[in-house]
Amino acid sequence: MKDLDLVSSHAAAHWKTALSDRLDPKWREDIDKFELDILLKKKGKVEDRVFAETRLRMGAYGQRYDNGHRHDGNESRVIPFPTDLNKGPETKWDAPGMERIKLPWGGMSAEQLEVMAQLAEEYSDGILHVTTRQDIQLHYIHIENCPSMFRRLAAVNITTREACGNSVRNVTACPIAGVCREEAFDVTGYANAVFKYLLGHPDVQDFGRKFKIALSGCKHNPCGLTNIHDLGLTAVVRTQADGTVKRGFEYVVGGGLGAVTYDAKLFSDYVPEEEVLALTQATCRVYARLGEKKKRHRARIKFLVADMGIDKFREEVLAERAKLPNDPRWTEFLATLPKFEEKPLRPAGKGIPKTNDAAFDFWCLTNVYPQKQDGFLTVTVTLPMGDITCNQARALVDISRKYLKDTMRTTVEQNIVLRWVSEADLYNVYNDLKAIDLAQPGAASIVDITACPGTDTCKLGVSSSRGLAAELRTRLATKFVQMDEAVRNLRIKVSGCFNSCGQQHIADIGFFGISRNVAGYIVPHFQMVLGGEFINNGGRYGLATGGIASKAIPGVVDKLLDLYMTGKTKGEGFRHWVERTGKAAIMQAVADVAAVPAYDKDKSYYTDWGSVREYNVKDKGMGECAGEVVSLTEFGLKAADREVFEAQIKFDAGDWKSASKLAYQAMLFAAQGLVKMYNIDISDDADKVMAEWKERFYDTQKFFDPFAGPRFAQFYIHAHDERGAELDKEKASRLLQESMLFIEAAHSCNLRLSMGAEKGKEGILAATKSGSKA
Amino acid sequence: MDLQYLNWKVYLDNPAEAEPDEWFKVWNDWIPDAPEIFIDVADYKHVQDGPVILLVGHYVNYSLDAGGRELGLLYDYKHPLEGSNEDKIKSGLLGTLRVAKRLEDEAGFKHKPKFNAGSLRFIVNSRAIAPNSAETLEAVKPELAKVLSKAFGADGFTLEHLSDPRQRFTVQVTAKGNPSLADLIQRLA
Ligand code: HEM
Ligand code: SF4
Repeated sequence: MKDLDLVSSHAAAHWKTALSDRLDPKWREDIDKFELDILLKKKGKVEDRVFAETRLRMGAYGQRYDNGHRHDGNESRVIPFPTDLNKGPETKWDAPGMERIKLPWGGMSAEQLEVMAQLAEEYSDGILHVTTRQDIQLHYIHIENCPSMFRRLAAVNITTREACGNSVRNVTACPIAGVCREEAFDVTGYANAVFKYLLGHPDVQDFGRKFKIALSGCKHNPCGLTNIHDLGLTAVVRTQADGTVKRGFEYVVGGGLGAVTYDAKLFSDYVPEEEVLALTQATCRVYARLGEKKKRHRARIKFLVADMGIDKFREEVLAERAKLPNDPRWTEFLATLPKFEEKPLRPAGKGIPKTNDAAFDFWCLTNVYPQKQDGFLTVTVTLPMGDITCNQARALVDISRKYLKDTMRTTVEQNIVLRWVSEADLYNVYNDLKAIDLAQPGAASIVDITACPGTDTCKLGVSSSRGLAAELRTRLATKFVQMDEAVRNLRIKVSGCFNSCGQQHIADIGFFGISRNVAGYIVPHFQMVLGGEFINNGGRYGLATGGIASKAIPGVVDKLLDLYMTGKTKGEGFRHWVERTGKAAIMQAVADVAAVPAYDKDKSYYTDWGSVREYNVKDKGMGECAGEVVSLTEFGLKAADREVFEAQIKFDAGDWKSASKLAYQAMLFAAQGLVKMYNIDISDDADKVMAEWKERFYDTQKFFDPFAGPRFAQFYIHAHDERGAELDKEKASRLLQESMLFIEAAHSCNLRLSMGAEKGKEGILAATKSGSKA
Repeated sequence: MDLQYLNWKVYLDNPAEAEPDEWFKVWNDWIPDAPEIFIDVADYKHVQDGPVILLVGHYVNYSLDAGGRELGLLYDYKHPLEGSNEDKIKSGLLGTLRVAKRLEDEAGFKHKPKFNAGSLRFIVNSRAIAPNSAETLEAVKPELAKVLSKAFGADGFTLEHLSDPRQRFTVQVTAKGNPSLADLIQRLA
């Protein structure tokens, strides 16, 4: 039997005809065009690069191994996909990909969830995955199935347009907007207006990078996370001279996680509601016009705002705003706001029914939020790592239909909330959830761990974020009920690499994947980030504390929690305790559990969580380095690690000046260490080290990260050029983060070279990644 | 009706003994030298009523599947094929049984899976091609019965249509006797 064409299969044709009348004409056109692009691409008529951006703009992302190679533990093997075609540069046509489904403000009707479950079943792997930006993702999808999926989604009013790519991504908002007891007002309708206005808007088609917008109903709670976004809008009200209350937004720009964190800058403390879309459009136009286009890693708006300074940036935007021709849509949406006022399906209850069910009582404590509307509750359905199966999703659809009027939403903590549950129904809802294993307690607690896809499916993953999160969750869950509230309420977030999709910077305890060399073996590690703040809209970022082997982390977390419990003063928060204790003392106290046993004592440390391969690369391809010289390099890298650690301690003590000096010095040590591969007599002079490192590592591109390119190298060059300059707290913090990233990159470079870069790029990639998923 | 995207599930006789981590390891080990095109193994043991461990392939996915809360091997053919419905049904069933047999014989398991070859589920993973209706059953039954007669003998099995309209088209096949995987494979090959 021969394989048939997917895109023009009978099933695909069925959806095209059957749903044609149900689709918004504009959306139908987008999908038809995309289908045509697929057909043209198959005929060789579209460039790889162009097709890649086309599919990204429709939410169709690449996935791990889509370059057609997979490292099986011993060597990199070719995956013999049947077609030679590509769907992007170095991206095989037949390789499965991820589809991101955009859910503005996380809103999701029962019908929409039902359809997404069908799609997960028919085109994906049977799992719906809720992301940290309120989207739903499906994995392992063949590109040719996308048009059918898009049609079925569009038929229930969902578009995937601009879910990825250099565009305005999903517009997120507090999942309890409208029912929150503390909000200034319900931001849902505004979030929807921003989404609708910008979707496909000509002014947002020429960005150098993605643009993420979030809305929050208040300043002090975390739900909207405005501080970490490109554009954040926080609801505020003002009382006018005539006594009327007017709605508006605090408007912040240029926040962001990613490799180096940026706090959003205050653009205006009050933008009236009728001005919000206009100002947003002007902001987008300035970003499109002035934002970096060539250097991807400098292209987010945070760099533009930081480089220009907020005052100059504001000036530019206001000038742009003044030039914009009036668009009636800027204010038309205000009349539609009442549409977003939700109604309950069932009458209000009069208190939560009393039961003798201790598990229910405990679940109420962590997963139930009393709404501002008397007699109604919002229930959080905790999804382990954001995952839910199709059958569970269908059962949730039934629950929604039985108790709610389409008031489900996804959350940035990868859960689903059921809003407007009548108090009278709560116990029944609990039991219905329990029947489908979705009544686990612990929402927004230490067991509700956020994790990005990491090495499971992400091309950039270095370590297994989901593997680690699953392990921590399982272990902590056994002790959860007995935990002190102070510990129970901590948050853990994990990313598979420095890109921070798992938002580890705003967790009490965060981790991001790195790899380290331990006595000649590559060992999967995570950098530990302590003391970030989820409250205040992601108000403060944690700082990296030190690399810890993946397998040692559960022990380290246990120890850390013990230290906190025994060391904290009454009512002392985690961040405060971290600051008071000092990272050096903390790292010293966990040193014994963090230690990596020798390979022949315990091999398990040399394999990542969720992986079965031992990562043994000892002596594999000595490449350009001789053994003795390598050890000098490692000596240099160790010195750099120590120096940057000292820099953090100075920083924590408020001494930005010494912190900056040490952060630079640490980079210098790392660079010098690398140069020692070739010249063991390299001097300590900063200019000489820079010159020789540049010649040997920058000009030759040996230092360049396979994905990030020259980005980390430039951190060092920049720091070298600017050394001695007086830095304020924010700039010092950035230099510190850049220093750490440069040192991580130096470690990776050393690993790559010591494993033999002559194997080509795939060899390099494999060498930098740990676990069987290299 | 042109049947495509056919899935078969064969149930475990010893579900309580299944160790998902062992399946994960075994399937990882299958990847490098497989004649099939395999891509990766996904671990979903943290969720319920769906895949537990999934070996993702280009043409076909295998999973240790707990859908319907019964553990078994799910064989999911993902590409449309040319040929008669009978051929496609047969090749899917044979593929499933062969993988089940290979798993039973696999040395990598400490807790060896044992399949009940007398209890199978046939699913068409496409609501476009096969809505879960009586009409689909009418259309599918003759060719499905032909293949099953070959495997179990003309009177050797019963069919039950599981007609929940929200689920995909699904038929439960129950053998009257107690056939072995090897017997079925031999009869179908
Ligand atoms: C193929 C997989 C992915 C790739 C290649 C990728 C790439 C990146 C990169 C490069 C950044 C840093 C952006 C910057 O600062 O310029 C980033 C940030 C981020 N990504 Fe991803 N990502 C992937 C998957 C995901 C997924 C699955 C999610 C949601 C679960 C996600 C959510 C985020 C978030 C929340 C951030 C940080 C917030 C921010 O950008 O301000 N990403 N991603
Ligand atoms: S943090 Fe890194 S590994 Fe995780 S999803 Fe983002 S890019 Fe991938």
